[in-house]
Amino acid sequence: MMPVSGDIQIIKEDNVTHSFCGLACVGWLYQKIKDSFFLILGTHTCAHFLQNALGMMIFAKPRFGIALIEEGDLSKSEPTLEEIIAEIKADHNPSVIFLLSSCTPEVMKVDFKGLSEHLSTPELPVLFVPASGLVYNFTQAEDSVLHALVPFCPAAPAGEKKVVFLGSVNDATADDLRAEAEELGIPVGGFLPESRFDRMPAIGPDTILAPVQPYLSRVAVKLERERGAKVLASLFPFGPDGTRVFWEDLAKEFGITVDLRDREKAAWEKIRPQTELLRGKKVFLTADTMMELPLARFLKGAGANVVECSSAYINKKALGRELQALEGIKVVEQPNFHRQLEDIKRERPDMIVTSLMTANPFVGHGFIVKWSMEFTLMPIHSWSGVFTLANLFVSPFNRRSKLPPFDEKVWLEGVMPSAEQVH
Amino acid sequence: MRLAFWLYEGTALHGISRVTNSMKGVHTVYHAPQGDDYITATYTMLERTPEFPGLSISVVRGRDLAQGVSRLPATLQQVERHYSPDLTVIAPSCSTALLQEDLRQLAMHSGVPEEKLLVFALNPFRVTENEAADGLFTELVKRYAKEQEKTAGPSVNILGFTSLGFHLRANLTSLRRMLQTLGISVNVVAPWGAGTADLEKLPAAWLNIAPYREIGATAAGYLGERFGMPTIFDAPLGIEPTQRWLGDIVEIINDLAAKKGVPGITMPPLRAFSLDGISAPSGVPWFARTADMESFSGKKAFVFGDATHTVGVVKFLRDELGMQIIGAGTYLHRHADWVREQLKGYFPGELVVTDRFQEIASIIENEMPDLVCGTQMERHSCRKLDVPCMVISPPTHIENHLLGYYPFFGFDGADVMADRVYLSCKLGLEKHLIDFFGDAGLEYEDEAGGHTIKAVSVNGDDNGFEETGSEAAPSVATVTDGMRWTDDAENMLKKVPFFVRKKVRKNTENFALEQGENCITAEVFRKAKEHLGG
Repeated sequence: MMPVSGDIQIIKEDNVTHSFCGLACVGWLYQKIKDSFFLILGTHTCAHFLQNALGMMIFAKPRFGIALIEEGDLSKSEPTLEEIIAEIKADHNPSVIFLLSSCTPEVMKVDFKGLSEHLSTPELPVLFVPASGLVYNFTQAEDSVLHALVPFCPAAPAGEKKVVFLGSVNDATADDLRAEAEELGIPVGGFLPESRFDRMPAIGPDTILAPVQPYLSRVAVKLERERGAKVLASLFPFGPDGTRVFWEDLAKEFGITVDLRDREKAAWEKIRPQTELLRGKKVFLTADTMMELPLARFLKGAGANVVECSSAYINKKALGRELQALEGIKVVEQPNFHRQLEDIKRERPDMIVTSLMTANPFVGHGFIVKWSMEFTLMPIHSWSGVFTLANLFVSPFNRRSKLPPFDEKVWLEGVMPSAEQVH
Repeated sequence: MRLAFWLYEGTALHGISRVTNSMKGVHTVYHAPQGDDYITATYTMLERTPEFPGLSISVVRGRDLAQGVSRLPATLQQVERHYSPDLTVIAPSCSTALLQEDLRQLAMHSGVPEEKLLVFALNPFRVTENEAADGLFTELVKRYAKEQEKTAGPSVNILGFTSLGFHLRANLTSLRRMLQTLGISVNVVAPWGAGTADLEKLPAAWLNIAPYREIGATAAGYLGERFGMPTIFDAPLGIEPTQRWLGDIVEIINDLAAKKGVPGITMPPLRAFSLDGISAPSGVPWFARTADMESFSGKKAFVFGDATHTVGVVKFLRDELGMQIIGAGTYLHRHADWVREQLKGYFPGELVVTDRFQEIASIIENEMPDLVCGTQMERHSCRKLDVPCMVISPPTHIENHLLGYYPFFGFDGADVMADRVYLSCKLGLEKHLIDFFGDAGLEYEDEAGGHTIKAVSVNGDDNGFEETGSEAAPSVATVTDGMRWTDDAENMLKKVPFFVRKKVRKNTENFALEQGENCITAEVFRKAKEHLGG
């Protein structure tokens, strides 16, 4: 355990965490980019992960699949994917194939860049997306997908000053963000990603990039460097506080001064029953989706007592404002789950925001739990997301209060024989 | 190299963890990248485990490979400190297996005593879930089972019951009930709920019961060779197999009792095996003979699954319900010969052996059987084709982890299977009537909408959202209740998931009325959304 240098204290730990690898992003991105195919060069493990943890059954022809490395392929110098690409082309006719790396080909030192270039044609680009669990956690590989899309964003001419929102959101949320910006007088250049490959937004030296998801630092840096675009440094648009600051800061980039304090106040007012319930509650975030920092900041603003906010990876630049807003709160990068478990047993938080791997066991220990993954799949952005966001945190408390008392000695007997006392 | 979308069997690591997650005081440490932790979620979500599964990852990151860092010793120390297991199984993942590290050597650096560690390194590119689980379980039995005195009274071990097994709890209950009725005690159930001390006392039992071809049979074979223990390998699937199974147990126990010079057991009347103790133990033999079941003679079934269930269900359908089997198959290449031999003469043509679900889907599409018995994947394939299907085999899915008592084994299990056959096929029969006589007064939902919205669910549950949406009302015109919707607003509404669309429409109109608006524009819609909370 060592503090990271710099003005904001982040405790950095190591080893046992509970979360998914970067391939998880396929779950939402293949649905977001509708003319795409996500091809993972991987093993049985990758296939088993996608079908189990993300609950993907094959209902129609799915637009993702695994080029399965079998024993015979281990001795080959380079994987041959031509036939698989032809099969995908025949069955799906996508506009783009994202070729995702995974752990095994990473260890085999497959030259993904060369491979994707070799497979690419002008009609059907094959784009390399680093996503292996050796490097990337959960939402982080979305950053890699957007990174790969950069060459397909047309160059916006100098002087074309527009905002491009960075991060995948569903179409309804995108409409809201666009309308909100236009209402404030901010010209909208689009979203990265848009829902079709051929409609990626133009980005140039006068583009303002507004990240709406907190895990996209690499693509932001790339666009800054390659296109001269400016990345908005603000809070993320979650909750009344974050949403106000986000829009005010964004407007400022366009020379527009707006005061949204009344609107923020009204939004807090609207969720007053929720914040009253959250006030003073001890909340522990164990690290999973990398949305933890803005969520903790919202909770703090709502009056909750955040006892720990952990995240798998914290980019101090991209999350700078969020870190400032979290001053005084224990922030941990790459936490050690064993240590967290001890702290949780001692601190007895009122709610734990945690992964699918740990949610039910925490409930079994008597805690109130919120699945962190839900925050990645729910419309919690901007003003229209405030209510949903607040309710996500409040619903576990409400539900618990509706259920009768629970005598675990009685009702957990035999549920998990392996956990019962040895001997 | 091939393009894969969905696989019947899990990985070797999954098989290993199924065994250790079943056991008390046994931990698995994966020497693996972060992503392999998804396996933990299969237990916490499907089995809803109220305690943390005994699984920890010794995380391998990209930069460690270059720097030669290994967290394995530290992880083992942490596991020792927090869980102090009797045994920790150390296993590599597919990617770290390629690194050819000496995991034993690395593990020794932890200072954890060697007898508390077991490195179980398989070739994950060759060995999959069931073989790995069976292999590890055998290894553990070899390691712990000790020669000892037999129990005074007749006793059995029940082997092969494993975490995430198909209808595991109910099957175990069914076996326990029958053994109790016979007056035989259960010495050890393993691996489910067993500790290393339980494995040690396995040889105290008189007899082993290992009903699953996939897991437990090899360990039972070892116990036979090493300790001279007899085993019943048959699965009591169906009435006759159950009666045979009971008869075999009584015979073996009585042989042993005679040798020991102690009193044996007698087979009680069959009614003793019923739930109330005063009835026939199963309704199946009478049910199969009733007039309305005669139509089942003409029904054609296709069966696909693991080895144990494919064999058991084919025999049950043909021998006890009198159905025709048009084909059968298994995804377990390793057990295909056994399945072939067991099912000789049961159906025309060859046994289908494949782990590609698309092949099975196309057989079903070509044959259009009256009933398909398969895995969850066949259920999905059949849904698209409107073919009746019942799930009879792993891999398990959240819908196989129900709360009620639905065994497949024993007399109780025969009733469950027959009920499911009847419920699945009955719809088929009705559908024939409808096809023959027209709509028979039933209206089928208009599928023209073709909604394909699919929630990304988190636990293997498909929530039923993948099906065609059912906005029951006839399609809603742009003007409802005098409220006009602009095309823009209508388009925005289309982006709302179909299953709440009607509600959102209504709420938006109410909001607009309150605001004194008479037309829903995009602007009004957006305001309403904000007001109503998304």
